[in-house]
Amino acid sequence: MIEDRAAPDELEPDVVAAVAPPKGPGKSRWLVVAVLMIGLLLLPLGRPVLGSYNYIILLVTNGLMWVALASSWNILGGYSGYISLGHAVFLGVGGYVAAVPLYYHGVSPFYTAIGGGLVAVALGFVVGLITLRTRGPAFIISTIALLFMFLLIFEQSEYLGGTAGLPLPVVPISQDWLKAPFFYAMLIAAVGSIVLSYQVAHSKFGLGLRAIAEDETKAEVAGVPTRFYKILAFALSAFWVGVAGAMWGYSLAFVRPTLFFTVAISAQMVLMAIIGGRGTVAGPVIGAALIVAVNEFSLAQFGSSEINIVITGGLLVTVLLFFPLGIVGTLRQKQLLPAFLDWD
Amino acid sequence: MTEIIQVVIFGLLLGGVYALFASGLTLAFGVMRIVNLAHAVFIVAAAYAAFFAFEELGIDPIVSILFLIPLFFFLGVGVYLTFFVRIEGSPRYVEMTVLLTFGIAIMLEGLLGWRFTGIFRQAKPSYLTDAFFLGDYLIPTGQFYAATLSLVLLGALWLFLRFTRTGYGIRATMQNRAAAQLVGVNVRRVSAISFGISAAFAGASGAFMSYLFPFFPFRHWQWIALLLALVVLGGMGSLKGAVVGALILGVASSLVVDQIGPGWGPMAFYAALFGILLVRPQGLFGKELAV
Repeated sequence: MIEDRAAPDELEPDVVAAVAPPKGPGKSRWLVVAVLMIGLLLLPLGRPVLGSYNYIILLVTNGLMWVALASSWNILGGYSGYISLGHAVFLGVGGYVAAVPLYYHGVSPFYTAIGGGLVAVALGFVVGLITLRTRGPAFIISTIALLFMFLLIFEQSEYLGGTAGLPLPVVPISQDWLKAPFFYAMLIAAVGSIVLSYQVAHSKFGLGLRAIAEDETKAEVAGVPTRFYKILAFALSAFWVGVAGAMWGYSLAFVRPTLFFTVAISAQMVLMAIIGGRGTVAGPVIGAALIVAVNEFSLAQFGSSEINIVITGGLLVTVLLFFPLGIVGTLRQKQLLPAFLDWD
Repeated sequence: MTEIIQVVIFGLLLGGVYALFASGLTLAFGVMRIVNLAHAVFIVAAAYAAFFAFEELGIDPIVSILFLIPLFFFLGVGVYLTFFVRIEGSPRYVEMTVLLTFGIAIMLEGLLGWRFTGIFRQAKPSYLTDAFFLGDYLIPTGQFYAATLSLVLLGALWLFLRFTRTGYGIRATMQNRAAAQLVGVNVRRVSAISFGISAAFAGASGAFMSYLFPFFPFRHWQWIALLLALVVLGGMGSLKGAVVGALILGVASSLVVDQIGPGWGPMAFYAALFGILLVRPQGLFGKELAV
């Protein structure tokens, strides 16, 4: 799909780094991906071998969920440059779309999770119609307001359980294998979101989004249907977040407004995508893995989530000031990016 | 009718305080194009200072404004020189300020939570539960003090911007940064001072928050959403807009609480924000929000 890319010499140096086609055959990355996939597929079967089995499964499941969230956020925030601080809304909507049929009718979220994703897409489309009339800071502000609006609506709704939320039944399978279905579900969400991100990056649509990020007015003059593309990006970026939300609520056995509709969740998505490298396929994945590891370490080390919040904020500030391109972007700019990390 | 007027009076008292809370936010945007998501966490930090000054030393929250203003002024100048000078030339500067202040806000929130835990705090000076009658209408004394002093402080800011040399510099920078620089305004100095003033107003706001609104570290997100809504309504960067927006939304949210239910008050702000973004993204008195 290299023909789709703009000629590098027409763009700013930073952009050349971001869109330059990968060098070399890139076989090693497929090897890495294959080994990683097989390892992940077999992980739940490693029960007899691994000591603290549940802990490891839980940690990896959590990591996969964040990969799905950060990669999805990147479709809008990375490619088109429209920063959303309200993506936690889609996680919550997905969670509730799956939780309500389970709570009232006993329908398993494993059937309704895709529905959660689709409702999130529909919501993204409608919200995008309104908020994407604005650009830059006004858009960011409107996404914050969106988050608090949804928190308020869900907290005030009696049908949805109000501030207490809804308790959910546990998955009706043996205790030993309780974690496995969620593991595979999050694996699907993570792989699905990476594939979606890759497909978008390698399409005319993705090229249009990058043009919007560079200069929206020029993109529009050049014939990019900017408004439609932006709204589509917003809607697409909601899908796997909604699916992940459906699974997450079920795995915790409850849904509650303050669990989903929080700035902290949006903040993590933004941080992961930016620290890994905005607008790259591999960046959010690396960012998610790194931040989940950092969170785990700081919780174990300091035992308080407050210190963890300080670290989250501190990392965001540090990366913005010193490595605004993120890990993948900075390495690529210096031509030091190993081929197996170059997924673009 | 009497009841409605009473609700409007409550709304106006509330709006006066909101105007003070939002003034620093709009100033930071007007002068430096900084969308300061950390503004509300500055206010909460100041509220903690006022709360502990009251609890430990017996200093009245209103008196603590006297030390909060200089303290937060220097804090603001420090924050500006540490963080914002570095990103002055960066592409998509405004968006960068949003992300940067987002990070600063998270950091400060974590620090406050770590030091002071997540429990609700509220200073309880003697006038908190007092009230007096103005004709037929009930005026809570604490709210009255806060609203009046807020307007006095805003008036002082207006006089400062209007009649001092530094004020000229700030207003010139607001109008056209490059041109101001061209005619000899030290734009960086003016920016640092403006951010200091912005933070100083957050400091003064904190004194009122400490006794008017129960607070804990995490609360600042709700506040920033609310303040941004009213600043966008008034027009970002416009001081007059912030005051008018605050008074309108103060009254609107009081009416919503009275007519629909106490939980729905903030909805007035979010609905107003979406409405204004749809119809007039630059707000009532503001200039267009550029990328």
